[in-house]
Amino acid sequence: MAGFFREVSRRVFAQELKDSNLTSRDESDQYAPQYLLTPTGAKVNRIFIVGTLIEKEDIGTDSEYWRGRVSDPTGSFLIYAGQYQPEAAQFLAECELPAFVAVIGKTSTYTTDDGNVLTSIRPESVQQVDELTRNLWVLDTAKQTLERIRAVEAQEDANSKLAKEHYSTDIEIYREMVRKAIESLKDNV
Amino acid sequence: MKQTAESIRDRFMKLGIDVPVEDIESRLDELIKKFKVPSNEAQRSVTNYFLKKYSIPKNEFYVRQAEPQLTKVADITENGQWANLKAKVVQLWENTHESISQVGLLGDETGIIKFTIWKNAELPPLEQGESYLLRSVVVGEYNERFQVQVNKNSSIEKLSEPVEVGGGDFTPAAREAELRNIVDLVGNQWATVRGKVVQLWENSHESIEQAGLIGDETGVIKFTNWASSELPDMEEGKSYMLKNVVVSEWNGKAQVQLNKSSSIETLDEDIEVRTSVFTYVGAMIDIQTGSGLIKRCPECKRALVKGACAEHGKVKGEYDLRIKAVLDSGTSTQDALINRELTEELAGISLDSAIAMAADALDPGVVLDKLKHELVGKYYTVSGHKLDRYILVDSITPMASLDRELLDEMLAELEVE
Repeated sequence: MAGFFREVSRRVFAQELKDSNLTSRDESDQYAPQYLLTPTGAKVNRIFIVGTLIEKEDIGTDSEYWRGRVSDPTGSFLIYAGQYQPEAAQFLAECELPAFVAVIGKTSTYTTDDGNVLTSIRPESVQQVDELTRNLWVLDTAKQTLERIRAVEAQEDANSKLAKEHYSTDIEIYREMVRKAIESLKDNV
Repeated sequence: MKQTAESIRDRFMKLGIDVPVEDIESRLDELIKKFKVPSNEAQRSVTNYFLKKYSIPKNEFYVRQAEPQLTKVADITENGQWANLKAKVVQLWENTHESISQVGLLGDETGIIKFTIWKNAELPPLEQGESYLLRSVVVGEYNERFQVQVNKNSSIEKLSEPVEVGGGDFTPAAREAELRNIVDLVGNQWATVRGKVVQLWENSHESIEQAGLIGDETGVIKFTNWASSELPDMEEGKSYMLKNVVVSEWNGKAQVQLNKSSSIETLDEDIEVRTSVFTYVGAMIDIQTGSGLIKRCPECKRALVKGACAEHGKVKGEYDLRIKAVLDSGTSTQDALINRELTEELAGISLDSAIAMAADALDPGVVLDKLKHELVGKYYTVSGHKLDRYILVDSITPMASLDRELLDEMLAELEVE
């Protein structure tokens, strides 16, 4: 097939995404996608999250530029939508808080003056969903995170090796994160 | 150059025409020296000039040239070579193009080769089983196989004495026995297949009688029954023996085609098809353009682009609903095509209400927005047959509950340590 393939949307909890700061990109190709490597070795370009939209604010000066905060059991994601994400911006402008939302988008990073890396999501799509979908996502993300934790433990592929090397990943922290996330689901089954 | 001129002169002399050698020479000279034409090209050009001048038909002239040597099929080894063949018409095939008069197989005692007679050759049709002397045919190469082309410079003479044809895979008797498993089919061969029609598709082209999927115990394959095959229709869910079908390859996938030399036999048994139904679980993360309320060409059912069909141009389209969805499991993505019936069920809108919605908003895009709103971001299990990068969805179910077992398993694993 042609060179095009669709980036898989990864499943990562907010806490882990917040801890991520290693970006990579093929410098020889200006159209090459940028990836963010997380502490458990997820190589993220596109991401799929479901959580609760708890804050929204139009922070644009000239035109509308919306910032939304979506929380999951481990923390929160920031999403930014402006004129180039018209559908997502429209959703944020019109929706009522709080709401369960599913967000599909690309991760982006910003390095502050003192060297901190902030992660956020540029949404391709934001849709309102139900609580079940949110719970399904938590379980899905827990399962995939746990698989990555096992891979880091076993050091079985390039991404998990690189993650371990860069973050000195303490897997207990992330196991605890996953445990906390799914603990809350027990009552919902 | 002198020699070349002489040889041209000699050839015309044989036809009883005396061309002054100086004329030939001066023309050659001009072409070669002044216009830097290679000498063999110049020779041909000058020869053609005089042929035209004296109104000698080209084929007559060249036939006389080529007459003496006869080439055996096995000796055809060079692309672009001219040949004279004594051969028998082993098989006539389906004519696939309007510029072709006949196509099929020729054989002699050394082998069998494909032939094509172009319409502009204006030659009388060959009959299967008869033998002919074919003069001045050109050897061509296609897909790394040689074939002979009969053009307007060629001539054909029927022979009373039949040419013996050596054996080979292509003799009809040999082919008929090759019953193959569907999983073993690869391109560029003839085969006989027995299988059950798993699915019939909407007919996409008038030259196609039927298309769909046929399967046996080993797999499923696409089939196309061309209208020109004049074979009866098959029914979904019934089993058939398809004799002498052509296996071709497209996009790296084998498919079978039924043509005039194929046959269909209905079987009483019910062949068990190895289920190639593919199931995928994931979140619907996108619905692509071309989804929602679309118009199709009334003739070929293709989706219209800007009101026009790729095949039939501007047509009055028929409304349809469909979804081209992208599902994503977190480790892979899968494209899925969801038809009108399932779309209506899934999104809770009928085609009529979709048309009304679009008319109300003066924009069919509202239907797409509605579908995205209802479906994107949610988890589904889809199943259906796989075709290229799509699943043709037979069923789609929203995930209705958490997997308790998985949850307990994970909790157990996390609690232990």
